[in-house]
Amino acid sequence: MDNEEAIDRPETQPIDWLASVSGDVHFWVPALVLIGGLLLLRWVS
Amino acid sequence: MGQLSSPAEASGAPRPALLAPERVRALQRVGVLCGIAAGAWLGAAEVPTKLVTTGLSPVLISFAMVAGVFLGRWSLPAMVRGTSGIRADIVEAPHLVIWAIIAGCLWSVANTLTIFAIRDLGLSVAFPLWNTNGIIGILWGVLFFRELHHAGWRRWGAVCGGALVIFLGGMLLARASSSQIASHVALRGIAAALGAGVLWGTMYIPYRKAYLSGMNPLSFVSFFTIGELGMMTALAVAYMGGFHNLYRQLTAAEDVLFWLLAAGFVWVIGDIFQQYAVKYIGVSRGIPISNSNQLWGLVWGAVAFGEFRGWQHGAIAGAIWGSVLMAAGLAAISFSVADNSEYLKWAEAAEREHRRYGIDIEFVRSGMQGRSTNPPQRRTWLDWVLVAAATGAFVWTGARAHWPSIALDGTAALVLLGLCLALLVACAATLWKVTRFN
Repeated sequence: MDNEEAIDRPETQPIDWLASVSGDVHFWVPALVLIGGLLLLRWVS
Repeated sequence: MGQLSSPAEASGAPRPALLAPERVRALQRVGVLCGIAAGAWLGAAEVPTKLVTTGLSPVLISFAMVAGVFLGRWSLPAMVRGTSGIRADIVEAPHLVIWAIIAGCLWSVANTLTIFAIRDLGLSVAFPLWNTNGIIGILWGVLFFRELHHAGWRRWGAVCGGALVIFLGGMLLARASSSQIASHVALRGIAAALGAGVLWGTMYIPYRKAYLSGMNPLSFVSFFTIGELGMMTALAVAYMGGFHNLYRQLTAAEDVLFWLLAAGFVWVIGDIFQQYAVKYIGVSRGIPISNSNQLWGLVWGAVAFGEFRGWQHGAIAGAIWGSVLMAAGLAAISFSVADNSEYLKWAEAAEREHRRYGIDIEFVRSGMQGRSTNPPQRRTWLDWVLVAAATGAFVWTGARAHWPSIALDGTAALVLLGLCLALLVACAATLWKVTRFN
């Protein structure tokens, strides 16, 4: 899970933060849980 | 994982600095106090959800609460920090806008699920089920943010044992309550409550990420609420058959709208304290402590709404034992203070955020230490417009409000409100003294 830790970015290099977010494993956990939650809501309502 | 042992060297950044032990202890005390205050205010915010028994649509209740939350999440930060301060924080870490919005979406879906769970199971049974979010939060805290790393078996035992005892106490409370209510426990309701627990537990990933990045909680919640209101509006429109129907039902519920907006506002106060608790003691300690909201919910139900009347002695004893267990779990977690070696692990997790997103290392470190790199900003006309708009919305709906046909012991409610206010003042004063609301 922590392979992305190895990414090294010097402080001076500008960050494409959209790409950084989508490449962050931490982002996909909440995103997938949100999709699951919406499906669950559809079932219970 | 080998890279993790020395992230600072890998980026060329200086090693995480050791904080003075007194400062670590002061921040931990602030975090624990914020967790306790969050429990009181989040518990009080659950009271208006009793309106679900008056026949209002669960989606409408959730939408109105989120509208109140939106008003609170822009007006309170505008008053305390100012929109200029919020802007300055976001410029330092713009990627957190996406994290805040996804956290807001998770909150809205979870909140709607809880309303369905209350409808199917009743508040007392549904509450401990969605409070499993604390256990999910600990899991993510340990897996992603190095919480409890180098904590030693005693702290591990205190935090995990405390969370387990709180959960068991919650189940005991639920059993005591459910034995008195002729409710039919539907699979759908249990799934909705547990699902809400998973969503809320996962929502703490963006929270922790923001605070490891040095973000001010007051700035984070302002963007969080955009995701919240956006997602909730989409859900309300989809489930209620379009904007027109949503508007029609909102105007039909005009006389209780104020109470739902107020519930959202009260929730915001509890949530802001919860955000500070997560910032200063982490997810694994902050969330179980703030989950004492269940205890406060029970006290409100028992004392203000007289829900204990007619209960058998065995059920009352179960409720008391459940409460004692929850209090013991809270005490265990509250006293398991993170030391400097555990704090260094948090600092390493913060280094990851600095490297991945290119956030200024000083912003990250000073934020974690409860200090700000941005000087205090003056209030602008926009701040006062936001405060005036929120006040106007409450005055307008308050003028049309009627108390729904629910029996309430006014004296008991005033005493409980007084306790909540005392905690609010104590917590705000300590936060100001130690962190200046950073």
